Amino acid sequence: MAHVSVPMYWRTIPQRYKMVGQKCKKCGAVNFPPKGVCKYCNASSEFDELQLSGKGKVHTFVLIGAGGAPPEFAEQMKAGGSYPVAIVELAEGPKVIGQMTDVNPKDVKMGMPVKAELKKIYTEEGVIRYGFKFAPDQEGK
Amino acid sequence: MATGISGYSSYIPRLRIKKEDYAKAWGSFQAAGVSEKSVMGFDEDILTAASKVSRRALESVPLAPAKVTRFALASTTAPYLEKLLSGTVLVNVGMPSSTFASDHTTSTRAGTEAFVSGIEHVKASPGGVAVVATADAPRASMWDPIEHPMGAGAAAFVLSSDNLIAEVEGYASFAMEHFGERFKPAGDETLHDLNVKKFFASSFTTCTTMACASLLKKLGTKPEDYAHVVIQQPDAKTPGSVAGKLMFNDAQMASGLVSVNLGDLGAASTTVGLVAALDAAKVGDRIIVISYGSGAGSDAISLKVVSDRKPVPSFKTQLEKKEYIDYIQYVKLKGALK
Repeated sequence: MAHVSVPMYWRTIPQRYKMVGQKCKKCGAVNFPPKGVCKYCNASSEFDELQLSGKGKVHTFVLIGAGGAPPEFAEQMKAGGSYPVAIVELAEGPKVIGQMTDVNPKDVKMGMPVKAELKKIYTEEGVIRYGFKFAPDQEGK
Repeated sequence: MATGISGYSSYIPRLRIKKEDYAKAWGSFQAAGVSEKSVMGFDEDILTAASKVSRRALESVPLAPAKVTRFALASTTAPYLEKLLSGTVLVNVGMPSSTFASDHTTSTRAGTEAFVSGIEHVKASPGGVAVVATADAPRASMWDPIEHPMGAGAAAFVLSSDNLIAEVEGYASFAMEHFGERFKPAGDETLHDLNVKKFFASSFTTCTTMACASLLKKLGTKPEDYAHVVIQQPDAKTPGSVAGKLMFNDAQMASGLVSVNLGDLGAASTTVGLVAALDAAKVGDRIIVISYGSGAGSDAISLKVVSDRKPVPSFKTQLEKKEYIDYIQYVKLKGALK
């Protein structure tokens, strides 16, 4: 299992629960998840906190099927079947990997608008690890 | 100053199971009047659902989460028996850490318990804003017929003195000692119920009629003054049985009878019903909400609609957006296979 200790998970709550990113003070690029050194200019470690909108679009995706899920997601795969994992291009620029949720896997399309929502990712050491997944952004339609 | 609902929202998970699938598995479906019910996905629980409706409710006003001064969370299905639950939602939604947050969890009355505590905060703190989130997906042993009606859903309300959709006219409560019906002893994982219908009915009827009667008396209103009546829905028949005793009719109950399509929403039963009634209401309509929780207690809340502002997505939109699963999938999603 890709073990993330409880303290390590706790330290990353702002990015996992509410998508707090950072804006490089030197080049202005938006980093998410947050980095020690800006991954775009490689020349600055000074950032301003930036609350991301959580909105974006599917850049590409893959379906994780039987046997393909890492151990922490094996139970999810057995209970719910294949699940989509997408690379999402966020409205603010960065591309991030995340599971798709609240969608039938066959309805996932490249370019579809999505938004981040808090979901249960997995449970380890008796602690439910919450974090974001991407759901189709079609509210009100 | 008038206080009440400035924004609201509901969240209905998209998965549904039909009564026919239960009948196929067990020979019968013991949830009177329920035709299908909603089911949470594998990656959802009451905290993810509460986060989603709280955000939506604030967006419906719209109001920045930073303005919130009180947060009350209600559910009978807490993912932890000890640990603050509301903190998870607070952080996700971006409500300030100085918000007074409370968890209401021990009976299906928790939804109105949270609502009343939110209203009391707003009345006592001028300029205060309360968010009340109710989310539930009650569970019981698959072997027990009380499991049959259990569905999933959530509703949230922004309560304040500004920009009101509905004014809260008043509320009244009734609580007493009762046992043997819907209880979970400490250390036990499953819900117990003696399944004695009469025993349950006497408690349900006493609590709801007493709370309702004292509210009507307090406000000087009559049953016919209410265009919408929402009564706790452990199934889709029970609320009707007390409605008659309170002189309410089926037409008044129609807009808020959400259990027909969603099942028993536990602590979110009357609150999701209230959202459905608010969506259907016209300016000037009165709504009465009467909750019930085993043990036992009831709250009755009277509201008057003052604006026709309707949040999106509507309750109806979510009701129509669905995908069916069969009983095996249901059992797996509920984590009932150990």
